[in-house]
Amino acid sequence: MGMTVGETNVRQHTRRRGSRTPYLLIAPAVLAMLAFLVYPMGSVVYYSLRHYNLSKPWEDGFAGLDNFARMLTEDPLFWQSLGFTARWVVVEVSLQLVLGLALALIVNETFVGRAFARAMVFSPWAVSGVLTTGIWVLLYNPTTGMSKYLADLGLMDYGGAPLANPDTVFLAAVVAELWRGVPFFAILLLADLQSIPRDLYEAASVDGASRLRRFYHVTLPHLKDAIILSTLLRAVWEFNNVDLLYTLTGGGPAHQTTTLPLYVASTAVQSQDFGYGSALTTAGFLILTFFSVAYLRLGKFGAKS
Amino acid sequence: MAPGRWSRTATALAVGACLALAGCGDDPAADGTTTITFWDDNGGPARTPVWEHMIAEFEKENPTIKVKYVGIPIAQVQQKYDTAIAGGGLPDVGGVTTAMLANLAAREVLEPMDERLSGSALDGKLNEQVVDTVKATVPDEKLYMVPLSTNLGVFWYRADWFAEAKISPPANWDEFYSAVEKLTDRPNNRYGYTIRGGAGSISQLLEVLYGQSGIDEVFDSSGESTVNDPGNVEALERIAGLYKKVTPEADVTNDYVKMVAQFDGGNIGVMQHNLGSYTDHVETLGEDKVDAMFVPAGEDGTRTVTSHPVTGLGVFAAGEQRDAAFRFAEFVAGKEMNTYWATETGVLPANTEVADAAGLEHITRAAQVLSDPGTTLVQLPYYLPEFNSITKTDAEPQFQKVLLGELSARDFLDEMAGKLTEAQASYDERNGG
Repeated sequence: MGMTVGETNVRQHTRRRGSRTPYLLIAPAVLAMLAFLVYPMGSVVYYSLRHYNLSKPWEDGFAGLDNFARMLTEDPLFWQSLGFTARWVVVEVSLQLVLGLALALIVNETFVGRAFARAMVFSPWAVSGVLTTGIWVLLYNPTTGMSKYLADLGLMDYGGAPLANPDTVFLAAVVAELWRGVPFFAILLLADLQSIPRDLYEAASVDGASRLRRFYHVTLPHLKDAIILSTLLRAVWEFNNVDLLYTLTGGGPAHQTTTLPLYVASTAVQSQDFGYGSALTTAGFLILTFFSVAYLRLGKFGAKS
Repeated sequence: MAPGRWSRTATALAVGACLALAGCGDDPAADGTTTITFWDDNGGPARTPVWEHMIAEFEKENPTIKVKYVGIPIAQVQQKYDTAIAGGGLPDVGGVTTAMLANLAAREVLEPMDERLSGSALDGKLNEQVVDTVKATVPDEKLYMVPLSTNLGVFWYRADWFAEAKISPPANWDEFYSAVEKLTDRPNNRYGYTIRGGAGSISQLLEVLYGQSGIDEVFDSSGESTVNDPGNVEALERIAGLYKKVTPEADVTNDYVKMVAQFDGGNIGVMQHNLGSYTDHVETLGEDKVDAMFVPAGEDGTRTVTSHPVTGLGVFAAGEQRDAAFRFAEFVAGKEMNTYWATETGVLPANTEVADAAGLEHITRAAQVLSDPGTTLVQLPYYLPEFNSITKTDAEPQFQKVLLGELSARDFLDEMAGKLTEAQASYDERNGG
């Protein structure tokens, strides 16, 4: 029996509405991404192609690639801050991974007081970045911190300032950031450790595998994806680290701890040179994107072992 | 939804939004009161109570005007103004200094005060030298703020340490170097001096350089900066030589807060700053333990000091309540409130009627130093819009390198002088100089 004209219209209308529904449902997410991701990124790229310095408004205008040329050929601080950023990321992520994995393995064992130990391991992650910095600033302060009390005990001279000494400032900043970063790896890796089937360890034991071999052939392969993802995330965060270093050292002394984002902050906020600051930001974005893609490809993230 | 319902809903939303937005504005309320927003450019535990008191007094005298106080930490104020200029949201009236005036005036966000002042209660009451300094900051020589106070470089010192060591406060630079050495007792955590090596270091550095060399202008007649004059290079080598000998190691990164914490914590004999930190020292150390001396004199007995930013209130041109905003600025710059301001903050008042009313000895002495014919005032070029970035972003880390021995005094001063000369040439070109 054939359909009436009315029935055909209703069906077509329903099909049209049905085909629109998915777009309507994802529209809020798309709009949010356009507003909070595409627009800001687009505006940074736009300003990177312009001279836009609030203290020199008479020079504002289209710059083409001038800002990038200045960055690559005339600005030693760009290369210095990029070099320091790379060093900072490699040292931080490596140490955080090794120490976080060690802690995760320890608190994954069964022992008396494990719950308390786990709480202690994870607690620094619950402290805000600014508070963490506040704690370490006080600890390193020569008037109120560790060095004063050690000097009171006669163990060292007064006036020791780890954050002011070029020989110690890097180590001092690394330790402060480790305190905050290690729990991140410990939490993430512990969660993955607990999903490893016990049967695998039992089978390996039956085959005579030592504890070390079980770690290399069972634990590590199982943790591979978690390690790749967590190190990538952490590398991006450490690359963009501003709160701790800005509050702890301000990038000093004498630019010794200036990362690329800190350099961007001082260029844009202090010097009010938003055009050049945008070019630096664009460079940082491109470097991070390239690094992330290469890292995931080389690490064969998600591939079955 | 039917078309009729769509339009009714849209109309209702539009009307609702208009009503809600109208409620957010600063237009006179139904009871006739006007609300103005005031940004304090140095908000914090020391200054906020002072402003709260002055606002309360103002509202008592002007019951139809309410002042909404917003305290902004001094380190963030430039950024807040920049953001508000770019994105909207400037206050009706805000604290400004001559250090930021060139920038704000160049972006045409402040209303000139000349006409308003000429017909106000402040007419003829403001210190002419202060008013001229403010006008000299901008190319059109208009008065873009109502000045409240100015400042002078001061060396705060521990009077009890000097008495203990049986030495007098130094009258010249040789005595200064000798005294800070004598006061140093490193094994007992005592240092004769502290150098500000972190944020804000350069303005203090320029004061000790010009103070020692006696050079009286930042630019010579040909427009070249004198910052790298051999006299200044020698002075820098001498003062940087004190680092870690009579100063703590931490000085290289010390900003104002850390520097004052060291001095008020009892580890420092002499600290260079300005009149503005008086309250902090007296509250922490007590009046009997701390005293002020001014920039030491040169070999010929004359004294060279650098100009300090003038502090005041600016009325923002985009504000809808500019009359009320000016009324507030006029009130706090008046004799009574300016007296209170000078007394509480320890700075030099801009209102000439206040001169003797503050009753603080160091203010009286500071005024005498400034008016002494033997004192030369070196005007720092706050009118250069690049002055802040040259002396902060560019020069501060380089000065740290000098302290750490990674850069010579000459190379550092040559670099800074080159940038200042270039900025001055650009300024002259733009303004037909």
